[in-house]
Amino acid sequence: MKGNIISVLLLLLTEILVAQTRISGTVTDAKGEPIPGANILLLNTYDGTTSDASGKFDFTTSEAGIQTLVVKFIGFKEFRQTLDLSASKLEVGVTLKEEVNQLEAVTITAGAFAASDESRRTIFKALDIATTAGATADIAGALNTLPGTQKVGESGRLFVRGGDGNEARTFIDGMLVLDAYGPAAPNTPSRGRFLPFMFKGTSFSTGGYSAEYGQALSSALVLDSKDEEQFSRTDIGLLSVGADVAHTQAWEKSSWAGKVGYTNIRPYFNLISQEVDWVKPPESLEASSAYRQRVGKSGMFKVYGNYNHSNFSLYDHAVGDPSVKVLQDLRNNFGYLNGSYKTSLTPKWSLRTGLSYTAIDNDVSLNALKITEADKGIHAKVAFDGSLSDKLELRAGGEVINHEYQARVDTSTRALGFNELIAAAFLEADVYTSNKFVTRAGGRVEYNSLINQGSIDPRISLAYKTSKNGQVSVAYGKFRQSANQQWLRSAPDLLPEKADHYILNYQLIQHNRTFRIEGYYKTYSDLVKFDDSAFTNNGSGYARGIELFWRDNKTFRNVDYWVSYSFLDTERNYLNTPYSVTPSFASAHNFSVVYKQFFVKLKSQLGFTYSYTSGRPYNNPNEEIFNNGRTKSYQDLSGNISYLPKPHLIIYFSCTNLLGRDNIFGYQFSKAPDDNGVFASRPIRQAAPRFIFLGVFITLSKNKSVNQLPSL
Amino acid sequence: MKTMNIIPLFLLALSLLAFGATANDRYNESMQKNIQSVYTAKTIDEIQLAVNAFERIGEAEKNKWEPFYYASFGYVMMATREKEAQKKDAYLDLSLKALEKAKAINPAESEIVTVEGFVHMMRVTVDPASRGQQYSGLAMQTFGKAIALNPENPRALSLMAQMQYGTAQFFGSSTAEACGTLNKALEKFETFKSDNQLAPTWGKPMAEGMRAQCK
Repeated sequence: MKGNIISVLLLLLTEILVAQTRISGTVTDAKGEPIPGANILLLNTYDGTTSDASGKFDFTTSEAGIQTLVVKFIGFKEFRQTLDLSASKLEVGVTLKEEVNQLEAVTITAGAFAASDESRRTIFKALDIATTAGATADIAGALNTLPGTQKVGESGRLFVRGGDGNEARTFIDGMLVLDAYGPAAPNTPSRGRFLPFMFKGTSFSTGGYSAEYGQALSSALVLDSKDEEQFSRTDIGLLSVGADVAHTQAWEKSSWAGKVGYTNIRPYFNLISQEVDWVKPPESLEASSAYRQRVGKSGMFKVYGNYNHSNFSLYDHAVGDPSVKVLQDLRNNFGYLNGSYKTSLTPKWSLRTGLSYTAIDNDVSLNALKITEADKGIHAKVAFDGSLSDKLELRAGGEVINHEYQARVDTSTRALGFNELIAAAFLEADVYTSNKFVTRAGGRVEYNSLINQGSIDPRISLAYKTSKNGQVSVAYGKFRQSANQQWLRSAPDLLPEKADHYILNYQLIQHNRTFRIEGYYKTYSDLVKFDDSAFTNNGSGYARGIELFWRDNKTFRNVDYWVSYSFLDTERNYLNTPYSVTPSFASAHNFSVVYKQFFVKLKSQLGFTYSYTSGRPYNNPNEEIFNNGRTKSYQDLSGNISYLPKPHLIIYFSCTNLLGRDNIFGYQFSKAPDDNGVFASRPIRQAAPRFIFLGVFITLSKNKSVNQLPSL
Repeated sequence: MKTMNIIPLFLLALSLLAFGATANDRYNESMQKNIQSVYTAKTIDEIQLAVNAFERIGEAEKNKWEPFYYASFGYVMMATREKEAQKKDAYLDLSLKALEKAKAINPAESEIVTVEGFVHMMRVTVDPASRGQQYSGLAMQTFGKAIALNPENPRALSLMAQMQYGTAQFFGSSTAEACGTLNKALEKFETFKSDNQLAPTWGKPMAEGMRAQCK
């Protein structure tokens, strides 16, 4: 009997196995457009198929009972539906919902130039910084070939959209850098303290940036340092102006890198005569070290430290009478430590924390007069990033920025200085209405201990994809930055300077060609102004302009070039200007072309950069009208060549101002008029007509394909 | 009564065995069919069909690494046929995603690590100027790992030979090392044996094509 039952059961089982269900339907998107190539499957079975060109699918299954039908296609959310397979025929309509994908979705581009080796939708890559002729591997130098910047040759700093050199701030792994530039003699360009090869990503924003970044009035340069290195290696650099050696040790989950460099420009200056009367040309000793450790599945711990000592001395000759000279001697010590930790907390939330410390000691003597400056900065930050759904991202965090500054003039017992504490919190949401439309809205709350005041700065940006590759962005934001320490040390109750940015941008990226146009309007308020030799916040100003950018690395084989043009109209009534004038660092027209070509046969990359900056205003005390003088235009053609004879060897040569043009940045005038009542003048020139640089870079590594190319 | 009891049970056991065997046969059969179509496919769409099938099988067979391995390999093949850089990258992303699943099942499989290196190698072709440095190093390192896991793996050896050859050619240095690796690869293609009837067999024509350059 039992046996019979089992036999019947077996028969039934076979029966069920033989029973088939035919499942058919059409896969479409929300608009009813068919989706071909979608994967259709019954969960945990082999049965399924792929939708055809008209989105249709049709397959039979021998499975029985309640099963789950799954439909998947890239860029769409997975579709699931339970089916009862007791019927012999089933018709299923499948509508897939678009998934908002960060890689495909619209991005906010107003004001921002993102550069990264990882993200693929960027205009500017980290390597571009290193290989731009005329930039001499200086980050600011390369960014000066992008629209929104005004070339100020005697400074070397970034001047963005009518803002002065202090208004562009640098952030490393989210942490504010107190002073991103090395010391420089008067009217000679300074270089950035951080080398481009340290970073995997660069985001250069010329306005309208995220609420996360405070204490920056005109521009935020956000640098993301590299993760752990993959290969152990030793790098040796022999330069015409010094030498450096670096070693990187890589382990499975961590890496350590250290670098020591010495620069002395004296031998070079002995060869090439200089405009500056050097007593002791700039000399510097630098050491830096970086440690990276992966923690768990998603954690990354980074520490970076940098120490630099530099010194120089020179004679500063009086404008009216060159025989009157002042011996100017400078010694600068710079220490920087940055630690950060990043990890995901839950699948939806991640945490970023960081702590940075900067200490700068500056000793300047002018003949017998000694001035010492001590500058210390601490920045601590905690931020949370949440992807609450594919349509909503949140960023929230808090930070404390402490800036302590003291200056002492020789014998005077009274030190000038301040100890400023800024506590801030920010909150920002990115809301994706679809892959085509995103709104970023947020704000920043700050409390400043020096003035005992709080503030709220709203920021908002929108971006809309007009076509597959084109998009429009608008941005508005309120920005503030404490007054320059030069003024704040004498008047610690000065209010922060403020700016409002309005930006409209259109960008088209297609087949390795980029076109970008951006217009902006900016107002400044509470700028520092000297009224009757008192410091006030009565200054104000505006800046407006239009900028164009074109990049193409497609049309010509092995050629990459970009063209930037910026028009700027700005006026400020601030500091010592008697009324609203165009400041002396501002130029109306800035134009640059960067050209790079790789010659496979010669194993060389050749690059040229041409820059044009229209005349800048200067104040001539012999004239009635303030800032009425105009310099002639600045023009520069620089070239570089890198030659790779062997995988581990690079020879690099660069030269600025190939045509030897006598560029004049402005004029200095004597303090008092001469017997005829005329103020004597002297042009501010480049320190030398050309800067020539030769370097040989050797890499020792087990992995033979590794060289220093990314660091050049 | 006693025999009555035993016979159906025996029958049941037998049929279950047969059923089990059918399941395994079915796995091998469907895999083989789709593996063949990845090897012979001419267009991206054809490969997509096979890749979809691998993903379906992979979802059902939670303990088998081969379905996701071949899905990943299929995506690399799609990337080789794709012209548009952005899509190429998207296929390579999908390839790595499938590879992660295969790796989770069998982390020490040399063939899986080889395809990982292949993905890095393909990344270079998207933008050689800015990616060459990072990804060619990574590719060579990964092929090195795959060879260490199984020194007999001809695919890892032949892809490594290609990378070495490319580097030597770029710098105009001797291709002796690359050709040495290639000869080893060709040798291993002849002797390669696996207990796994689904073991990959691709790569031989590519290696033979390279032989001419080494003469």
